[in-house]
Amino acid sequence: MTTVDVASRLDVQDLSRSFGETKALRSATLRVAPGEIHSLAGENGSGKSTLIKILSGVLRPDRGTLTWEGDVKQHLSSPASAQAMGISTVFQETLFAPEMTVRDNIFLGTDRLFRYGRRKGAELDTARQAMTDLGLDGLDRDRPMWMLSLAERQLVTIVRAIVRPWRLLILDESTSALDAQQRDRLFDYLRLARSQGKSVLFTSHRMDEVLGLADRITVLRQGTTVATMAVGEASRRGILGHMSGRAEGASMYSADTADIVSAAPPPRLEADRQAAGQPAATAHAPVAPTPVLRTPVLQTQQLTLRPSSRPISLEVRAGEILGLAGLEGQGQVEFVECLSGLRKPVSGELAVLGANGAAHPVRHYSGANRLGIRYVPRDRRHEGLFGPLSVFDNFAVTLWADFNRFGVLRRQQARKRFADFAESSRLVSASPARAISTLSGGNQQKVLLGRWIAMRPRVLVVNDPLRGVDANTKEELYGLFRRLAADGVAIIYLSTEITELLTLTDQIAVFHEGSVVAMLPSETSSDTDVVAAMFGDEHPGGTQRVGADG
Amino acid sequence: MASVVSRHARPQVLSTPVVRQLVQRNSYIAVPLALLVAAFIANAIVQPQFLSQQSWAASMAVLCPTVLTAMAVTLPILSGNGGIDLSVGPLAGFITVLIAAVLVPAGITSQAIIPIVIVFGLLSGAINGALIAYVRLPAIIATLGMYLFYQGLGTEVLPEAGGSVPVWLVKLDGSYGPIPAVWVVFAVIAVVWLLLTRGSYPRNLLSVGGDERAAYTAGVNVNRLRVVTYSFGGALAAIAGLMLTGLIQGGDGTVGPPYTISALTAVALGGISLAGGRGGLLGGALGGAVLFLIQELLTDAKVSVYQVSVINGIVLILALALNGTVEYLRRKSATAKQGQG
Repeated sequence: MTTVDVASRLDVQDLSRSFGETKALRSATLRVAPGEIHSLAGENGSGKSTLIKILSGVLRPDRGTLTWEGDVKQHLSSPASAQAMGISTVFQETLFAPEMTVRDNIFLGTDRLFRYGRRKGAELDTARQAMTDLGLDGLDRDRPMWMLSLAERQLVTIVRAIVRPWRLLILDESTSALDAQQRDRLFDYLRLARSQGKSVLFTSHRMDEVLGLADRITVLRQGTTVATMAVGEASRRGILGHMSGRAEGASMYSADTADIVSAAPPPRLEADRQAAGQPAATAHAPVAPTPVLRTPVLQTQQLTLRPSSRPISLEVRAGEILGLAGLEGQGQVEFVECLSGLRKPVSGELAVLGANGAAHPVRHYSGANRLGIRYVPRDRRHEGLFGPLSVFDNFAVTLWADFNRFGVLRRQQARKRFADFAESSRLVSASPARAISTLSGGNQQKVLLGRWIAMRPRVLVVNDPLRGVDANTKEELYGLFRRLAADGVAIIYLSTEITELLTLTDQIAVFHEGSVVAMLPSETSSDTDVVAAMFGDEHPGGTQRVGADG
Repeated sequence: MASVVSRHARPQVLSTPVVRQLVQRNSYIAVPLALLVAAFIANAIVQPQFLSQQSWAASMAVLCPTVLTAMAVTLPILSGNGGIDLSVGPLAGFITVLIAAVLVPAGITSQAIIPIVIVFGLLSGAINGALIAYVRLPAIIATLGMYLFYQGLGTEVLPEAGGSVPVWLVKLDGSYGPIPAVWVVFAVIAVVWLLLTRGSYPRNLLSVGGDERAAYTAGVNVNRLRVVTYSFGGALAAIAGLMLTGLIQGGDGTVGPPYTISALTAVALGGISLAGGRGGLLGGALGGAVLFLIQELLTDAKVSVYQVSVINGIVLILALALNGTVEYLRRKSATAKQGQG
């Protein structure tokens, strides 16, 4: 153990990297000090991931230098050599060997190709300690990875990074699947590590995480470093301004602390207007002011998600945005899967209500589809996208039935529909012929949403749609959801971000232990109310108990 | 009113960690093991002389190349990402030519042939591995190239089957007292594999097969692992060639290629997914044995070669469907258990 006393742990100068025509990184600079938590901020496609891949030895830069603890390097030759130097990385995508056990996934790569014999006690202790630190002590280490939940898998990949002797830990969107409690434990661990002189570099699309955790922030825009600031000097708006390059200089260096502390959600005028039963008029597209009849379109009766949980009875009306909240694994995911026909409830009824009030039960996925329920899954790469296919093909895949005449697809007509949709929704800016896998996460999500929206849903079920999407795209998509609601679509909106739910939805159903413990009107509730309900608290104000009826 | 019934109450012994892990890791061999037992019993009923010692040694000798080439192709398949080695059959065939037409005429007739052949197999596999890992050729193309190469080279070097073979090599297909010599070969391979299993190599192999990027970013040297894995496969194929030389008592450039197809059939029968990342060497061995026993049964029933092929095809498809069903049930029961917990 050699502890070099250095002013900077990592000093990145003038780093550039291109992929064909695209310049992902152009002379980026970054300096991380020992004992600091440093946030790397930027929109999708700003070069964060490229920079992180270079720092972890996955990619080589075209130009520039890396100085690690006083040692100048042109590049790191492999992930293994980065780890040997003390740089440990958790990548944005949760990477694991599905058939291997939790234990094998944690120690993955720590053995050489032919290491012989059993693991030493100290090694096992480190792993046990790391799992305890992150709240995974209850997890069976002999369980194969594919059996774990999304959050547990993400935590295991973090454990894999921290069991190595690291001095710089890089976390690239590594909290996206975690619930509030799991995130807090991780942050406590990171703060403790900081006090021991270790360094952390992380990216997050959750601004409150950035402001709450980081000491300093470096902002990237189009592959270049545009600002580095101490968190005390930064404001939410200032950072967003740097990232987008739009609000130049807006209070970025003024100590706008009030803004940081209050972390106020954006004004929810739109949602307010809708709640009052009026159509929204967004800045983008004024919607024709036809009042929408707010008739119920979806109803559950005594819907039981787990053998031991209380049944859920609720109703969703046309034009309503119902938020679903809850800690990880409290039944909200099962609920949306039941809604979309992907899972059978233990018992109870789930029905779409026709125009005349007739109930049509939802029995399976294609049935749900016929009834106008459209489900946008959470895991884009595995459940949503066809990676090698073009943007157009990904968009049109659900529409071919409309353009099918005697088995011949009328592509011309489909292209026109795509062009119309792309123009009217302003969702898709990429060329329709590009492979979708080359788009950034935000743009992929737009195409995916577009696919389902173009099918004119009656009920749109979305599962954490803005996970890993940059702030400006988020604003655009909020607008889109509001316009859809104004058109009479009922939206079931599952999200892990409370602020987002409070901003966008009309009501929030909070899940706890497999059933809904509270229905909170978004307008009059605070995030404390939501958090309290998430933890199963019976909140007196503004909370109606549902699902407990006889 | 909702009665909570534990549908997954299991015997106590299955919940001890060691047993559970063993069952979980090796559940893929359930179907091939059942097939093996069934085929064995069927053989014992149909041909009573099947169980006699003499017949054993002879049967094992015939079975040996099938099982060894199946094991040889198992390793690359486990490494995932389209991993496969089509060259195992022609390589085994070329080894017979190498021994009968090159080594023996050159005066090498001692047991030194064994290490020479194994090193040849290792190098041949290393070339496959390097073409795939570093030149980044698709495995099916690279090893098809080697398949054609050995097939041509074998008949070029020895146009007519023949040549001479040392006596000790022919005896490898006999028995040492009551023990068929082939068993010794398998025992040696089993010991080597078990030693490897106690170390990190199989874990690394299955991780790379499961998700190559996960293994690479975690620090596994994926390219080196590929080269090593194809080398091991090549060595096993070379040992298959050695045994084959003793069996046919000479060299023959045309004897090898059919073993590639039988090896792939055996792997599928052995419950190993072509996607990689799950399974082990035992699966390939069991599959090879099942394939052989079915052939024995049909040969005894005087079924024509073409009909044997038809029946093999049917058995293969049924076995795959059965594997798929077992896998589906395994996942389903695991997910249901998790939902309760």
